[in-house]
Amino acid sequence: MFIFQNIIIMLDSAFNIDCGYLEGLVRGFRNGILRQHDYLNLVQCESLDDLKLHLQSTDYGSFLANEASPLQVSVIDDKLREKLVIEFQHMRNHAVEPLATFMDYITYGYMIDNIVLLITGALHQRPISELMPKCHPLGTFDQIEAINVANTSVELYNAVLVDTPLAEFFGECVSEQDLDELNIEIIRNTLYKAYLESFYNYCKNLGGPTAEVMCPILAFEADRRAFIITVNSFGTELTKEDRAKLYPTCGRLYPDGLAALARADDPENVKQVAEFYAEYRALFEGAGNNPGEKTLEDKFFEYEVKLNVNAFMHQFHCGVFYSYLRLKEQECRNIVWISECIAQKHRAKIDNYIPIL
Amino acid sequence: MGSLFRSEEVALCQLFLQSESAYTCVSELGELGLVQFRDLNPDVNAFQRKFVNEVRRCDEMERKLRYLEREIRRDAIPMQDTGDNPEAPMPREMIDLEANFEKLENELKEVNSNAEALKRNYLELTELRHILKKTQVFFDEAMYPPNLPPDQAPYFDDDDETINLLTDISLHQLKHIGFVAGVILRERVASFERMLWRACRGNVFLRQAQIEEPLEDPATGEQVYKSVFIIFFQGEQLKLRVKKICEGFRATMYPCPEAPADRREMAMGVKTRLDDLNTVLSQTQDHRHRVLVSAARNLRSWMLKVWKIKAIYHSLNMFNIDTIQNGLIAECWIPVPDLETVQLALRRGTEKSGSLPAILNRLSCVESPPTFHRTNKFTRAFQGLIDSYGVASYREMNPAVYTIITFPFLFAIMFGDLGHGIIMTLFGAWMVWKEKPLSVKKVDSEIWNIFFGGRYIILLMGTFSMYTGIIYNDVFSKSLNLFGSSWHVPFNESTIRDNREIMLDPKQPDQYEGTPYPIGLDPLWQLAANKINFLNSYKMKISIIFGIVHMMFGIILSLWNHRFFNRRLNVLCEFIPQVLFMSCLFVYLTLLVFIKWVNYGAGEDVPLVLTPGCAPSILITFINMVLMKGYEEAKGPNSCSAYMYDGQFYLQRMMVVVAVICVPWMLVAKPYFLYRASKQRAMLGTGGVEGAMEETPSTMPVQPAEDHDMSEILIHQGIHTIEFVLGSVSHTASYLRLWALSLAHAQLSEVLWGMVLRIGLSTAGTTGGFAMYFIFAAWATLTVVILVLMEGLSAFLHTLRLHWVEFQSKFYEGQGYAFVPFSFDSILEANESTVTEAK
Repeated sequence: MFIFQNIIIMLDSAFNIDCGYLEGLVRGFRNGILRQHDYLNLVQCESLDDLKLHLQSTDYGSFLANEASPLQVSVIDDKLREKLVIEFQHMRNHAVEPLATFMDYITYGYMIDNIVLLITGALHQRPISELMPKCHPLGTFDQIEAINVANTSVELYNAVLVDTPLAEFFGECVSEQDLDELNIEIIRNTLYKAYLESFYNYCKNLGGPTAEVMCPILAFEADRRAFIITVNSFGTELTKEDRAKLYPTCGRLYPDGLAALARADDPENVKQVAEFYAEYRALFEGAGNNPGEKTLEDKFFEYEVKLNVNAFMHQFHCGVFYSYLRLKEQECRNIVWISECIAQKHRAKIDNYIPIL
Repeated sequence: MGSLFRSEEVALCQLFLQSESAYTCVSELGELGLVQFRDLNPDVNAFQRKFVNEVRRCDEMERKLRYLEREIRRDAIPMQDTGDNPEAPMPREMIDLEANFEKLENELKEVNSNAEALKRNYLELTELRHILKKTQVFFDEAMYPPNLPPDQAPYFDDDDETINLLTDISLHQLKHIGFVAGVILRERVASFERMLWRACRGNVFLRQAQIEEPLEDPATGEQVYKSVFIIFFQGEQLKLRVKKICEGFRATMYPCPEAPADRREMAMGVKTRLDDLNTVLSQTQDHRHRVLVSAARNLRSWMLKVWKIKAIYHSLNMFNIDTIQNGLIAECWIPVPDLETVQLALRRGTEKSGSLPAILNRLSCVESPPTFHRTNKFTRAFQGLIDSYGVASYREMNPAVYTIITFPFLFAIMFGDLGHGIIMTLFGAWMVWKEKPLSVKKVDSEIWNIFFGGRYIILLMGTFSMYTGIIYNDVFSKSLNLFGSSWHVPFNESTIRDNREIMLDPKQPDQYEGTPYPIGLDPLWQLAANKINFLNSYKMKISIIFGIVHMMFGIILSLWNHRFFNRRLNVLCEFIPQVLFMSCLFVYLTLLVFIKWVNYGAGEDVPLVLTPGCAPSILITFINMVLMKGYEEAKGPNSCSAYMYDGQFYLQRMMVVVAVICVPWMLVAKPYFLYRASKQRAMLGTGGVEGAMEETPSTMPVQPAEDHDMSEILIHQGIHTIEFVLGSVSHTASYLRLWALSLAHAQLSEVLWGMVLRIGLSTAGTTGGFAMYFIFAAWATLTVVILVLMEGLSAFLHTLRLHWVEFQSKFYEGQGYAFVPFSFDSILEANESTVTEAK
């Protein structure tokens, strides 16, 4: 019986027994992602009502139909997110193992962001009730609103996080220090590092096409974080040793690239590290802050979109769920960007969205 | 005028509308539902069109109406559906409507926000009341020794240890201990408790009790269950922390006085306030109800009006704007017979707005017009069967007319059983009889809608099945002996018992009367051991006969297509060889069947050559014919012959040769003639082209000049020929499904009778009676579910295939597109179905 099960697991098509329906669903959703010509129409819009009218002719349908004019960008943002969350949660509710854990893993990232958001807010004496609407709904959990009980990271761990799935990522950053800005950033990045590595290992253990698709995506995510941590750390109190501890070790930069990054002193050094990696070199080469050039961040986003689009080329794996969410988030960012440009009558930069091909 | 046989002539028309009258005209056309507008600005974005603002205003109105509807539904107020169909209001009335909706929405919103505030207040007071009540119990437990008054501790009798603990604490320290009381959602209690314990390191004491009745959440109106809790702690630090956690879990905290007398007083105060609030709340509810009831009365007609306005502006957005004459230009497809009606509608429209009349021009067009079949409730379902394969090309022969008879007939050949046919007929007849009430009642079940849509098909299939059931003499697998069998058994009982096989001889007058059973199969066959052999031979033969008749009919229909479209070349190079090919092989096959049926037989004066024993196998004869094999000649007048008539061999050989010749004829002739024609035209130069143009009849739409690429034509013709030649064999064989399904159906119903009902019938005595009661139920259910429903469905699908593939491939192109007129009825229907879906 055991051997038999192994044989079944080896068959890719056995994936469909448990996840075939959801994969079909997510591929259907993916076909609803806006195309280039939709964007061309969107950037021509004169007002947000035009935008709404055009979005009605896409897969978004009447998601704004019950909103009173005049529209606000924040309303559009909320509705876009709401729709995405409903789709994701619908799929999560129908998922069985291993997809269920996989999708839970996706939500942990949002939990980390939410926790950091709330703690930072609490540090600035903002009431939790004001911060809650800003949290991503995929990353909420029961205890989240009571987070300001904690003053130190130990308390944070013992009182709030110990029951959440994030507990296992928290091991390294327990300290008696009071929470301050730097500390929170360190907590965020340590959590993220542990989370990424754990997610990476989970995907690797799943094996098959899931690992083939997800590992490169997560490796890129890890490397991107390493680059960004390094670039952002210049001119802060963060020591090089502490910085090196924050690098996720599941990327392609590990170990040589990370060691080199740890020694970096200015952005030029970072660029030199990227020189050794063909795909990252291309990203750094075209990037810049001058008008007409794309920022490094956008370059990273573009590369991520490419990876996620490619995920749909494979069949029978869980990666499509991750990729769909990422693509859709990118799409939401694009729509919000375009709406902002329209709302503020600042059309010069309206073409700076990242198309999803 | 034969509109059933071909789709109707549709003309492309240009419509000049004055901008004042455009709205009313389009409104009239929408009521009429006979005009299909073409989008003249396909490249323009939805938000750049002329009437986008009006569309947006309609969207806004729709939103308000939806909001009203939601509120009405929440209060479960019945909405009146009077079924009246208000005309689209004039544009100037739109402002009134808008103002009206605006007023209603604002009023409702105000009422709602008031009600919500009141309800929140009410909720708080109720929660406070519960807290006072429950905490009373906690405090009482604490004050008195626990085991003395048992009725004071109704909630935690089984939890002795906790109570003791509390008692200990309270007796000595209650004075120094602070506490917080509040209400929390019941599902959050567990994690709340854990969090408290963790955050305060176990230094707090929590008691909780459930509030039995659900409370209404004022924001969502949902019923939620909550629990009362009270937390004891010591010191300010802990108090802060506990409060933070309570906030974090969205628990509402209430002040709760420590002294019992204060608590009692507070409870009294809360009670009176609650009573006051109740009266205010009920007044607010009444007001809200009145507003909603008055809105509910008109909601449907408002909705219809808004939908109509929106549809009109959507159509107007498709028009071109004539800036010089300040008008709109539309292009539309109109069925030619309805041009008059459309003119009248336009006149009505212009009269309403009192401006210059609209002008309707017929245009000539290059592209082929849409296909429009006028249907009624009877033909609609049959047309639907055809259209789901492919909408007919413009003005080609419409197979739906013939399908009305052939479809139920072929179905019935497979479903031949009088009993099952009666069940089906009754079902179909019931749906037809109750047509009006059933169609008014809107059912969401898709399966029911399919059945109801095909009610006439079901009725016809049922009646035809009854007929074939009589022919097969099959009622629930048994035969009816209505007229008395023509066969008699002259043997006595002992002969029958002793011999295992006895054959009845049709030659003996005491065994066979000489005249067959008046209608259908002789019931005696039901008892015969070779019933299946006999039926198979019979059913196979009629399957082939009907199949070939069906296909030949299809080929002949193609002649009408060729003649109608003036394709003489196709008649010469496709129709004639096809008919010859089919006749020489397959029509001849059916002739052989008839010859065998008519010539051979038993009887007194039949010569030996024509006795049943001598009848040649048709299958072998046909195979030998195609292989051009000869056979041995009959040796004398008294021995059997492989031939059925004189000169059969030579005739057959000639026919095979003709059939073989037909193949290259079909393959090469048409490309050759086309090639020659194009060459001639090239030689004649431009003059020749003009001559050719004159030949094309002016009534026909001029096809865009075909690219006479020879290789393409050759390949096309090759595919066509191969398809036909191979198809004629495989399609003929395909009709054998008629026999196969019929056999399966008969056998299945026989098995069901033998394995189920027979048990009941053969059990004797009173038990048999009781057993029969249940067994009959089982048999009846299985009969309906398996034999009528499942078998019916499978026979239906096979019939559909026979029509789509075997029949329509002979003549039907199905390359057209449907005529979708701009019609308020269909737009409203579509809107309403999306509304019901959204619920």
